[in-house]
Amino acid sequence: MHAEVRVSAIALRRPLQLAARALIVAGIAFALLYVLLIAQPSPEVGGNWRTTNFGSAIDDWKSFVRTLLNGVTSAGLLFIVASGFSLIFGLMRVVNMAHGSFYLLGGYIAYEIQQDMTGQGFALLGTEVNTYEWVLPALVAVAVIGGVGLVTQQVFLRWNQGQELRQALITIALSVILADQVIAHFNEGIASTVTWPGWTNRLVGIPLLGVDYSLARLLVLLLGVLVGVALWAWLYRTRTGMVIRAGVDDRQMTSALGVNIQLTFAIAFVVGSALAAFGGVVGASQGAVASGQDGQWLLNSLVVVIIGGMGSLIGAVAGSLLYGLVFAFSAVYLPTTGDNCCTQYSIVFTFILLALVLAFRPQGLFGRHG
Amino acid sequence: MSRLTRRWKLLLPLSVVAVAASAFVSTSGATSQAREVRVAIMTDCKGAFGFGYEPDIGGAQAAFAQWAGGKPKDAKKPSAGMTGIKVAGTSVKIVGYGCGDDTVPTAIKETRRLMEQLKADVMVGPLSGDEAVAVANYAKAHPTKTFIIGTAGSQDPTLQIAPKNMFRYFGDGAQWNAGIGEIAYKKLKWRNAAIIMDDYSFGWTSAAGIIADFCAIGGKITKRVFPPLNTTDYASYVQQLPAPSSVDGYFWVVGGTGTGASLTAFEQAYGALKPSQHIGNLFFAFLGADKVVAPKVVSSYVGGFGTGPGLKTKQAKAYEAIMAKHYPGLNGGNYADGFVSNYYHGAWALVQGLQKSKGQVGAALQAALPRSIKSAYQVSNGGVMKLDGNRQAIQDQYPLQIVKNADGSIGTSVVGFVPNVDQSFGGLFKKTSPAPGRAQPPCVKKSLPWQGKIKVVKNGTITGEVIK
Amino acid sequence: MGIGALVLVALGPLVFNDYWVDAILTQALIVGIAAASMIFLAAYGGMISLAQTALMGIAGFALGNMVTQRTPGGETKGLTLGWDPTLALVLAIAGTTLIGILFGAVASRSLGIYFLMITLTYSVIAFYFMGQVTVVSGFSGISGINRYTPSFVGDMVNDRYRLYYIALGVAIVVYVLIRYVVKTPFGLALQGIRDEPVRMSSLGFAVPLHRTLAFGFAAFLASLSGVLLVWWQGQIAPGDIGLQSTIDLLIVAVIGGLGRVEGAWVGAIAFIVINNYIRDSWLTDFLDDVKVGGSFNTIIGLVFLAIVIVSPDGLLGLWDRLWGLVRRGGGPAAPAVSPSPAGQQG
Repeated sequence: MHAEVRVSAIALRRPLQLAARALIVAGIAFALLYVLLIAQPSPEVGGNWRTTNFGSAIDDWKSFVRTLLNGVTSAGLLFIVASGFSLIFGLMRVVNMAHGSFYLLGGYIAYEIQQDMTGQGFALLGTEVNTYEWVLPALVAVAVIGGVGLVTQQVFLRWNQGQELRQALITIALSVILADQVIAHFNEGIASTVTWPGWTNRLVGIPLLGVDYSLARLLVLLLGVLVGVALWAWLYRTRTGMVIRAGVDDRQMTSALGVNIQLTFAIAFVVGSALAAFGGVVGASQGAVASGQDGQWLLNSLVVVIIGGMGSLIGAVAGSLLYGLVFAFSAVYLPTTGDNCCTQYSIVFTFILLALVLAFRPQGLFGRHG
Repeated sequence: MSRLTRRWKLLLPLSVVAVAASAFVSTSGATSQAREVRVAIMTDCKGAFGFGYEPDIGGAQAAFAQWAGGKPKDAKKPSAGMTGIKVAGTSVKIVGYGCGDDTVPTAIKETRRLMEQLKADVMVGPLSGDEAVAVANYAKAHPTKTFIIGTAGSQDPTLQIAPKNMFRYFGDGAQWNAGIGEIAYKKLKWRNAAIIMDDYSFGWTSAAGIIADFCAIGGKITKRVFPPLNTTDYASYVQQLPAPSSVDGYFWVVGGTGTGASLTAFEQAYGALKPSQHIGNLFFAFLGADKVVAPKVVSSYVGGFGTGPGLKTKQAKAYEAIMAKHYPGLNGGNYADGFVSNYYHGAWALVQGLQKSKGQVGAALQAALPRSIKSAYQVSNGGVMKLDGNRQAIQDQYPLQIVKNADGSIGTSVVGFVPNVDQSFGGLFKKTSPAPGRAQPPCVKKSLPWQGKIKVVKNGTITGEVIK
Repeated sequence: MGIGALVLVALGPLVFNDYWVDAILTQALIVGIAAASMIFLAAYGGMISLAQTALMGIAGFALGNMVTQRTPGGETKGLTLGWDPTLALVLAIAGTTLIGILFGAVASRSLGIYFLMITLTYSVIAFYFMGQVTVVSGFSGISGINRYTPSFVGDMVNDRYRLYYIALGVAIVVYVLIRYVVKTPFGLALQGIRDEPVRMSSLGFAVPLHRTLAFGFAAFLASLSGVLLVWWQGQIAPGDIGLQSTIDLLIVAVIGGLGRVEGAWVGAIAFIVINNYIRDSWLTDFLDDVKVGGSFNTIIGLVFLAIVIVSPDGLLGLWDRLWGLVRRGGGPAAPAVSPSPAGQQG
């Protein structure tokens, strides 16, 4: 009797799974078609399920391209921050809950350095900042936070490897302390900006796509790509990188092979923290850095790593792109039927993205099992 | 493991517990002997307005120092405390400082801690709009306690909830923006504008003032955009604003972390900002965000904060002298910040009320609290600011402009004077009308009491000229 | 000793003053229920869930939306459906349990630290949802909820002792329920899955389904906590389920001891007392004196850090060791009887 029930349950599972997958594929296809073809521009008052801010890609090609670029450029920043998180998590299985705090600290340190260099109390106009005055604060911030990361790893995380929950709790405690210290020592946690060098402050025409787009945002994308290429070169072309990849695959074996795994861990943590800090500097330049953002960026890193898969560079790229694009498009292309609908539901789409990935590939798109 | 290490392993956590225990043993010795009035000052020490902690406390305590004989323990750090406050022969004790973080649950917990655990009779605070709504609900359930709102700008506490034991001696977020719409219409010749606002109650309230003012005189709001609070990437929202060529101007009601980020996103979408096309609410000129934003929008007009920075009236100068005397350098010397001045006036009103009630609290104090006060920046009615039937101030307002000073630094200058702005905005907001929201108020033409009566202010002096 | 504590708590209103009973003890009971749901999952399911706060909030928001009525004009926060409080209560609890099952189903195939990350993401998404979707809440939240309570519950606004005893009763029921469930075949299977998921799967147990149902049960417990929370607080806002609150609940569970269900309430009372009294203490002045700066939040972070480093079993683990020392006069400490999930591999 039991066996029969089990067999028929299995027999049912297959078609159910197929049906579920078909439904998902249909949903995604509909969403794409909606953005590309179905949507219509919204009228002065009212609207229906088809009307959006700009209509479809056919109605308003430029807005579509701009939204696409918005998503891709914000993915650049997401990648910089999340790649550090993924590296630390993939190699050391440490959920560094203080990653957001490193982002915050990095941004504020760069702000303070830039203010010291140019001697004002107010935010600087682009025209007053040259490339050196952006690069130096960035380098200092990255170096300082790399050091903080090293100290954190050696003092708090080295002696309890393998105890993942304990390490997560320790980093949580550190993030609480760091967040409070930021308020105490850095401009009271008020929103502060780092200013891009003046030459980024213009629109450039993009050939082929036919739109003008902000050079500063494209710079963010470029920086993300550079970071990605540098990481790839490091992980796939250097000995340390090889050890790290081996460690991600099988930590015990790597250690048993006589590799100095402790040194590798330390290096990975430093690099991960440095990436968070660099992300903080870029984020502070793009918008602002303010206390409370550490939680937001921890969430962003988590979402990217969950979607893309932990410890995987290509996964971080994929996760950042998906997350950035979903975020950008859902803010603009949801229907506007009136005053209380529907663009405020954009957060739901982030959840849907997450749920879809977890339902069908729980280890992430490019992650490995276990 | 030897016995020694084990014992040590125990001692460490025990000592942690002991240290923690001493933390609250040392505070629980609050026994009151003689009759004293217990006051709590509630503000934020965390979150978006955490920097308001010292300015708020300093503002309130300066009033106690000036009018009730209080002596600051540290003129550079208001939260160090104050002694010797005495009104009508009764001593007044500041029992605690509330530490909110701009969220409702913390506001409730802090309020309960101050009013029930530390047994405060009066609260001066809170700071933020949502906190004030929570405190107003609490006040309604606790009629024997008295609440004087610190600097919160939400409309509900004195319009929809309006408990009888809650007072506000300054205007709400909508009142602060009175006059700015008319300036946009007349001086900048705007006829249609877009508005971008934080998608929560203060954003809606502040925007409501702008929209009501601008539409009343004939302007049209062509597009409203609502980025969620705490957005980090404003590109997608700024994209929804009409292009600079298709609209006369933009109203910005984005605060906190978003003021600078949203303007940067606008620059990155449409090129350099033309100051004459942008008007912001108080976030352009106060509360820290101004440091990020102001350099880009020099000469833009800005909605006020109910205060007149640089105003040269007698009352204003007297107020600033008082602040400089007791807490010099507070808030960077910027005493015309509502954070300082609103707490000051609340505490001053409290002192006056206690004088009249002869040190009694509760219902006696609520009856005795002044229904009018010589507010620092009030000019109408001979400098007397009155409270309406909901214990809400009818306050003169001052639209501002961002200016570059002679020494190259950036500041704000008062450009207009709007007399007697009331909370109902000339009958637009009633207890039964829908609260400010995404579509409230609608853009309608009507006549407001101060329409056509906004006076020009030059160099801190109110001229007789009306803005044309 | 447990009985002694229980008697003390039952006599609470006679022993402690009003403020302590209402603000500290009642809150500790409510938070303890939510922490107990987290500890249940951690100790018996091997899953550290950071979504319990979110589930607690969802129940509270659901109840708030269903029960409050539209006041003439003014703020109309939430859906203000104005339904019958008893029906709303049942729907809120049932709905949250269903959402818990959905969350669990999505996350059930992930293990250990992954699971923690996914549930953390749930938590923050729920926070943003409640903050941004202004139709159901908005940033200011919903207030006045405890004016509409079922008749068998009574007046929660004024009769705070009644609320205290209701919270106490529910806490006892939750505790007994957890202890009962872990002894049932389902509970035993769950513990087997915690220890040896592959072996259990090869024995024919549907591992993801078990985990999902366990998560649903924990969601049910968290929903009880959420309902009590809105009766106690009267209001609920996204701040109640934000990242800070999520971490606070984790701190509560860890301080108490993640291995034992009693730890939930021990941790809750310790955390609430520390949080409440630390603000006016000499410790923050000490921080200033050593130029470290910061507020009481730094102190709380340091205390938490110390506890995690020194005694990962939390206060109860500390108590066990102390007791063991006293009884054995310094002999070898007794091994931890309860399962500790700290060493779970992902």
